[in-house]
Amino acid sequence: MSPASQQPSSRPLGPLLLRKKGSSLFGITRASLVRRFFSAMASVAIIVLVLIMVFLLRDGAGFLSTYRASLDVYRKSGMELCDLLEQPVREMQDKSTSLLRHALAHELATLTGEAKQRRDAVVVLIGKVQAMSAPERTALEAVLTASSPLELLTDPRDQLRQATSRAAMSIPIPSVLSSGEAEQLRRELATLTPERTEPLPMLTALEAEFATQDTAARAQFAPLSAAVIACEQAPAALYETLVPLHKHARNTKELAQKRLSSRDQPEVHFPDQLKPILDARETLLTRLDDYGSRLKQAQAALPAETRSEEAAELLAQVRELLPEQAVQTAGIREKVLEWDGMHTVSMFHAALGFCFGPHWITNSPWQDFYGVVPLLTGSVLISVIALLIATPLSIAAAVYTSQFASDREKEYIKPVIEFIQAIPSIVLGFIGIALLGDLIKSVSHWPLLAWLPGFPIEERLNMFNAGCLLALMAVPTMFSLAEDALNSVPQSYAAASEALGATKLQTVFRVIVPAALSGILAGILLGLGRVIGETMVVLLVAGNRIAIPDFGDGLGVVFQPAHTLTGIIAQELGEVSRGSGHWQALFMVGILLFIISLVVNWCARAFARRLETPKS
Amino acid sequence: MKTSLLLAVAAWACLVSGIQAQQTLRIRGSDTLGAKLVPQLAEQFKLSHGRQLSFDIAAEGSSTAFTNLASDTADIGMSSRRIKAEETRFCESKGIVLREMEIAWDLIVIVVNEDNPVTNLTRQQVRQIFTGEIRDWSELEGKPGRVSAYTRNTSSGAYKDFMSLALGDLEYGTRTQKMAGNEQIAAEVGANVNGVGYVGYAYADAKGVRIVSIDGVLPVPAMVNSYAFSRPTYLYTRGEPAGMVKAFMDYINTPAGDVIVSSCGFVPKSKVR
Repeated sequence: MSPASQQPSSRPLGPLLLRKKGSSLFGITRASLVRRFFSAMASVAIIVLVLIMVFLLRDGAGFLSTYRASLDVYRKSGMELCDLLEQPVREMQDKSTSLLRHALAHELATLTGEAKQRRDAVVVLIGKVQAMSAPERTALEAVLTASSPLELLTDPRDQLRQATSRAAMSIPIPSVLSSGEAEQLRRELATLTPERTEPLPMLTALEAEFATQDTAARAQFAPLSAAVIACEQAPAALYETLVPLHKHARNTKELAQKRLSSRDQPEVHFPDQLKPILDARETLLTRLDDYGSRLKQAQAALPAETRSEEAAELLAQVRELLPEQAVQTAGIREKVLEWDGMHTVSMFHAALGFCFGPHWITNSPWQDFYGVVPLLTGSVLISVIALLIATPLSIAAAVYTSQFASDREKEYIKPVIEFIQAIPSIVLGFIGIALLGDLIKSVSHWPLLAWLPGFPIEERLNMFNAGCLLALMAVPTMFSLAEDALNSVPQSYAAASEALGATKLQTVFRVIVPAALSGILAGILLGLGRVIGETMVVLLVAGNRIAIPDFGDGLGVVFQPAHTLTGIIAQELGEVSRGSGHWQALFMVGILLFIISLVVNWCARAFARRLETPKS
Repeated sequence: MKTSLLLAVAAWACLVSGIQAQQTLRIRGSDTLGAKLVPQLAEQFKLSHGRQLSFDIAAEGSSTAFTNLASDTADIGMSSRRIKAEETRFCESKGIVLREMEIAWDLIVIVVNEDNPVTNLTRQQVRQIFTGEIRDWSELEGKPGRVSAYTRNTSSGAYKDFMSLALGDLEYGTRTQKMAGNEQIAAEVGANVNGVGYVGYAYADAKGVRIVSIDGVLPVPAMVNSYAFSRPTYLYTRGEPAGMVKAFMDYINTPAGDVIVSSCGFVPKSKVR
């Protein structure tokens, strides 16, 4: 019986709040106060999420109209027409001239191969000896620039001479040089000093040897050589006609941009500006046809017989390209004829350009394109690789830990795997650059593994490297969720299965794992969500090539470098000015990432609900 | 006793930090300048000036210099390229006029792996490599292998200067890989036998790489006037520099500053025509 209850008019607040349940202040009981506090905390989380979405949408929503306007100016200034002609022609040219030059190199190598290897070996060795004596060289240069008296120069000079002769004696010489030549080369390499200006006698001799063989070889393969040059020069007239049109179109674009930034600038009348370009259409088409016929001529002049097999293969590829190129040229012709410069670019076109555009080109002196396909494929491929590596590992670990491990083992395994989550992602990025890249590269050079697609690889930074590190990051998430799911399968299932005579293995793999499938799948999807959103690791390790990976390599595509949605935001956000088209484009990429994460998480929950075991 | 000791230590700390009126000079911008040259100039400047001065240098690419100057998060902007017209317009729209000062000249050096026998490239070949026209080293009389070209990324001044000096304003090839800084490019070219990239002259002596002469001219400071890819670098300030900013920028043009510039692998302005 508290004294306060006998004096209702002057109750102090303290004992009032500490009163037992049942009493209320302004209708709020203690229990409901606690409830409201917790619900407020929950709503704060929801409000923050909504604010993030609003913030993203606000900055990214303007993108479509900005991009549409930019593409509109791109079309109305005539830049689109120039690109319609130039881009496909350059692509065709690059492909066929590259193949032809390659074929020519093979042909020349059949005659000059050995002399070239000998000369190249000496060139590389000279560079290596100089690199090995570099510290002494820099010391000597430092003394020289300080203009010290002559006595101080003798010591560094001696050091350099000794270092050079040490390097010359110890460096391995490839077998293309005979042992006598190797000896002579070592003697000559030991005389390499900074004061020596004339080249080594051996190098001069090998250069001369190569030069005579090369001239003879080029004379013999003159037809192929001429065909290569003819092919390289075929579009010259077309490019020449395009140069003044480029300038004019770029000028129009500048005027349009000036007008956009301030209303005092004169308004741009596009039909007038387009006139010179439209007038030039006929000339351009004539040049295009001319280019087509010159290509045909050049390729008809290709020799039918070749000395080497590789050259024959390459020339066959070039010949195959010819009909394709004819079709493409016809297609270009049609597009140029139907091109209508004053047809306004629609929002839909801009949206398509963003979602399905194959080029992400920013800060270009010509035109910026914001197409996410290269970034999306990079993100998706890296996530798939990471999942493929992480899923078996984490599920196997979860099954072992929950079903087969003894209690002592559980005490060690669980914390250690979950500790991986504590490793900062930047540290993993360092490991990727410093260790994993070189490890994968040296393993790929083993002759035993040469049959694997894509091996041997030369790039240290590639999608597989990033995928491995991301798999390591995803394993703890997947492991914890899978293990919880396996542990929450009711004991009655296992008991019933064993009562029916199943062995332990059969129970685990035919009863328990299927029963826990919803949780396991949810874990995998959450791991996927984690992996898609990772930035630091992919920025450091994935190679940063903004291009759709070349799927022609088959499975070897995983060893190519790529760029990701997250990486491009991190890389480019430092340089964009607020509110510009580039800024808005990066926010659109952020929105895309947000949507992907939402979808993945929603799928995880849907799976979990659908495959839920009925709780008995 | 203990509390009075603690109080004395606390009072001393406050006094000392109060006396050291730290002025911080914030410098943002180019990785080419900001990784070695500007930090060394800052160190020497601090030694010769007894004042308490601290430098806050962050080098994330030349484009970040202008965005930082415009939003007043930097006092000095380092840029390895000239400011663009739209950046000038952007700053003017915020009421800021930037003043430009040319400091040192840089040589953009093409590097290949040390196992690559190619020692000379023509300007046209350089253009063809970085626009993706040349795809295999055998086309350049090297050992057969797919060319892996490493470039800087779009926030870099070297990226844009190289595009205008070497590529004639054509776009880089889509297969090029965009690295964050000179050191990364040098490391990757050193590790990849098919690698080729461009770095500032100060980074050309990295392990495993070899420089290539362009049209027969070796990229050394003595040849800065005839080398194809030499370019000036700049510092930008908001309006006319004053106070410590002016003192620092004047220091760079003194002979002492020239020595540091040369030792970092740049060419002092005084030696360039």
